[in-house]
Amino acid sequence: MSERELTYGEAVKEAIAEEMRRDPRVFLIGEDVAEAGHPFKTLVGLVQEFGTERVIDTPISEPGYAGIGVGAAMTGMRPVVDVMFGDFITLTMDQMVNQAAKAHYMSGGKIKVPIVFRTTLGATRRSAAQHSQSLHAWVSHIPGLKVALPSGPYEAKGLMKTAIRDDSPVVIFEDKMMYRVKGPVPEGDYTIPFGVAEVKRAGRDITIVATSSMVPVSLGAAKLLEEVGISAEVIDPRTTWPLDKETLINSAKKTSRALVVDEGYERYGVTAEIASVIAEGAFYYLDAPVKRMGAMDVPVPFSPVLEDLTVPSEQTVFEAARALCRK
Amino acid sequence: MPANVIMPALELAQETGKLLRWMKAPGDTVRKGEAIAEIETDKVTVELEAPASGILQQVTAQEGDVVPVGQTIAIIADSASPAPADTGRGATTLSPQGSSSATLSPQENSSATLSPQENSSATLSPQENSSATLSPLGRGQGERSDTRIKASPLARKVAQEHGVDLAHVRTATGKIEKADVLAHVESRRAAVPANGGPADRAAVAAGTPGGTIAASPKARRLAAERGIDLRALKGSGPAGAVLAIDVPEAVVTPPVIAPVPSVSEPLTLPSPWGGEGGMEEKVGTVWRVMAERMTASWTSAPHFFLVREVNVARLGAWLARARTQSGVRVTYTDLLIKLVAAAIARHPRVAASWKDGAIERHPDVNVGLAVALEDGLVVPVIHKADTLGVREIAMRREDLVARAQAGKLRPADIQGGVFTISNLGMYGVDAFSAIVNPPQAAILAVGRIADRVIPVDGHPAVQPTMVLTLSCDHRALDGARGAQFLGALADLIEEPLTLLV
Repeated sequence: MSERELTYGEAVKEAIAEEMRRDPRVFLIGEDVAEAGHPFKTLVGLVQEFGTERVIDTPISEPGYAGIGVGAAMTGMRPVVDVMFGDFITLTMDQMVNQAAKAHYMSGGKIKVPIVFRTTLGATRRSAAQHSQSLHAWVSHIPGLKVALPSGPYEAKGLMKTAIRDDSPVVIFEDKMMYRVKGPVPEGDYTIPFGVAEVKRAGRDITIVATSSMVPVSLGAAKLLEEVGISAEVIDPRTTWPLDKETLINSAKKTSRALVVDEGYERYGVTAEIASVIAEGAFYYLDAPVKRMGAMDVPVPFSPVLEDLTVPSEQTVFEAARALCRK
Repeated sequence: MPANVIMPALELAQETGKLLRWMKAPGDTVRKGEAIAEIETDKVTVELEAPASGILQQVTAQEGDVVPVGQTIAIIADSASPAPADTGRGATTLSPQGSSSATLSPQENSSATLSPQENSSATLSPQENSSATLSPLGRGQGERSDTRIKASPLARKVAQEHGVDLAHVRTATGKIEKADVLAHVESRRAAVPANGGPADRAAVAAGTPGGTIAASPKARRLAAERGIDLRALKGSGPAGAVLAIDVPEAVVTPPVIAPVPSVSEPLTLPSPWGGEGGMEEKVGTVWRVMAERMTASWTSAPHFFLVREVNVARLGAWLARARTQSGVRVTYTDLLIKLVAAAIARHPRVAASWKDGAIERHPDVNVGLAVALEDGLVVPVIHKADTLGVREIAMRREDLVARAQAGKLRPADIQGGVFTISNLGMYGVDAFSAIVNPPQAAILAVGRIADRVIPVDGHPAVQPTMVLTLSCDHRALDGARGAQFLGALADLIEEPLTLLV
């Protein structure tokens, strides 16, 4: 049986469509999600199937429709709120951070906020500084929010379905550069549990923890490393919260070295948290400092040449890993 | 001309030395030959003498540091040249850091033009602090007082005088006064034996800043598990950090399996010590090095042993006379040193080493004497013993043994030995076989003097005798040469007058 392949974007759409078919409480709301089918064309066809009552176009007001989503979730719906660019989550912060993330706790568990914020990350699309950021560290910081980072089509579908079914607010960051990437995606229903990392590639000499867009980059680097005799283990945590600390620590214990690669800004970022988890948990097994690689700490430049330099690449990950292994 | 103070090489195999303690602080005026630091080498604790007179500066090795041999650890500048250290201002110290202003950031440069008061407050700025860590003068020197520490000016002055790092002084209030510093000095004196003994090492092991060795956490864990001292390892990591790969595999002694009943079920071997295993005792550097060197010698040098019983009746007579004539408490050991030196002078091939496939000869008859310490064994050397009289040998021996036991040997005291005498006679041992002290070719094991029955002129007679055992490294010395040497020595012992011939 040949495996069916979908693009990352198609996998997202299939997940949302299947969940909307499965559960009438699920609806989609955001800018250009209906007739336009989303600027990244990920939602084409949904409004035709589910109608404008469940696929709702809004004015350009992220705080407004994010608030509508939170309220709808509190009152029993399961909204998928589309925030076109991850950069725009800054506009939805109060709704996410102070409302959605807190309501369950502040109501003594009486209120649930089963909302999904669907947004994007990733640079190198030549979209300049306000449309190229990877801000998942912002929400990973907040207790009460769960954060998923699908690293391929298979994950895009499985994590989206888990997110929609989760009773907590979930922010799911899709890599906008990966929408056209194809990969095997099973037909029908499957979910990927949160808080369970996946070992994408087993290895002995170094652990590369990579998220989202950096998973394919790190797998490419692992191949280069193999050519110089370094066996790299690549692990995708899949969710920054809940975080599968055990798998990360055990891998680092096994290999004695760890490199954490993530497309968010390096400083105070996801890499820092994961590196810290590894340093604490595997300290006596480490033979080198845990190394972090994130996006350069600059507003993403519009110049393609410069923009490409801000993000870890196969070559830079390869070089960093090789340096850690001192080979 | 400023003189470099370097970590000395005290023996052939030594690669590093550990700085135990600075006895002088940067800015201090030192005289050539004056002891300025205590160094723990692979073998002993020694005092390092100032190579020149002048002002001690640019102290780069901190207490507890393990430094490669030959590395400059300080500089002694001419007294005449303008000393960067402002020693007159007590502990408020712009000391040697001030001299490295070229490395300072613009902020600091501007502050350098401020008045002394402002200057000292400028040292509170984080910039200054961060630059201080870049300066050649590291933290932790006794005299360097951190201006962030709340201490009275008098306390700072007293701390400087006693070489106390105020960062190590703890008080209930957090403020340090003179009495606190003096109490710290007292407690330090009580805690650290004169030879930088166990308490000092414990402090290092506990990870005091001065004693930190660069090593990865994994390397540290492996070394601890395998009972290996990190200080003994050469790191291949960044800046010489010890990595896991540098930690040798544990030496696993294959269990001696007595004929085991051939059963297929797994055997649970009991601990050879019974119960839950033995008590582990940490060993000091001297002991560890003794263990390593003896292992190296025993496993690499093919040993053979020549045993000879000698009549020491004449030697005893000589001893009595030497004591009365010299006015010094001469011992049998002193006489043996004298006679061994004479025997080596007659058979110089004994003073040799097997080195890189060739025999290296050593012209000077420097005789080492094994001295037992609380923590292992040292071999101070009586240089050119063949040129010395018994009185002088006795005085030197007494001085060396006393200082060895006090941990006060100087580098020169343990360098250059070409032959070793190990005397266990005082413990009632009749005879024993010693392990050659590398890179020497032979060692003489001396048993006790006892009245034994020996034939004299065809009749049994009771005479004082002593059993000598010469252990030889067969690569440097063969049986015939060893026997000739031992024969010459025996002749000299039995008839010391032969010395005159």
